[in-house]
Amino acid sequence: MGHFTEEDKATITSLWGKVNVEDAGGETLGRLLVVYPWTQRFFDSFGNLSSASAIMGNPKVKAHGKKVLTSLGDAIKNLDDLKGTFAQLSELHCDKLHVDPENFRLLGNVLVCVLAHHFGKEFTPQVQAAYQKVVAGVANALAHKYH
Amino acid sequence: MLSAQERAQIAQVWDLIAGHEAQFGAELLLRLFTVYPSTKVYFPHLSSCHDATQLLSHGQRMLAAVGAAVQHMDHLRAALSPLADLHALVLRVDPANFPLLIQCFHVVLASHLQDEFTVEMQAAWDKFLTGVAVVLTEKYR
Repeated sequence: MGHFTEEDKATITSLWGKVNVEDAGGETLGRLLVVYPWTQRFFDSFGNLSSASAIMGNPKVKAHGKKVLTSLGDAIKNLDDLKGTFAQLSELHCDKLHVDPENFRLLGNVLVCVLAHHFGKEFTPQVQAAYQKVVAGVANALAHKYH
Repeated sequence: MLSAQERAQIAQVWDLIAGHEAQFGAELLLRLFTVYPSTKVYFPHLSSCHDATQLLSHGQRMLAAVGAAVQHMDHLRAALSPLADLHALVLRVDPANFPLLIQCFHVVLASHLQDEFTVEMQAAWDKFLTGVAVVLTEKYR
């Protein structure tokens, strides 16, 4: 999707340094499951997803959210080679997890909302633009090995 | 289509926007143009000069229409019919662009309202705006 300028990279890394990956991860995955409830189809084994508060407080959601965002943190260190960084995860999501790549776009957008919520005014249009580039790049990289 | 709880949450979101239509509307457009530059093609009068007054004025107009939609959320088709005609016959904004605007709307609300904009409110608001977009593009063909 995008080429990351040096300015993009500086913006992205500096904000990411202030992100609590555990909290943001749980928040992001939780929000995805609440705002787009059909995404719950992948998480039948997660237990109680019966209400917004059940979802946001669910320990499996938090744990998995943390895992997902930790992986995104790796992406941020490798913005110039997202396809390489996510090659194996892409195969996994296609062959084993059977996740429609549209879900990666939804999750990416929710992450941007969570960052906006957390950082408030600091999350300027320019910062948003940089992060939408990141999440679009990650979504494409994760879809890249689908067949 | 909308539960009583969703209706209440949509009204709650609007209460947080009311009075700030120009400010939020302008920021919405600025984010749209910054994050998704291709959307500028639909706003030639606005996007070339980033004139703050024009953004505020157009932003105000757009959000006023959203506010009207909130007042008539149970009969959107009737309430939005003139705007649907405008979009079908004159503006012809490709339907793929509405989710981009909706995303920017969530970001405006999340960044300004923070904890006041809860996850349930976001869910209801997303559902509502998606419904508005459907109505606005329904007469395209």
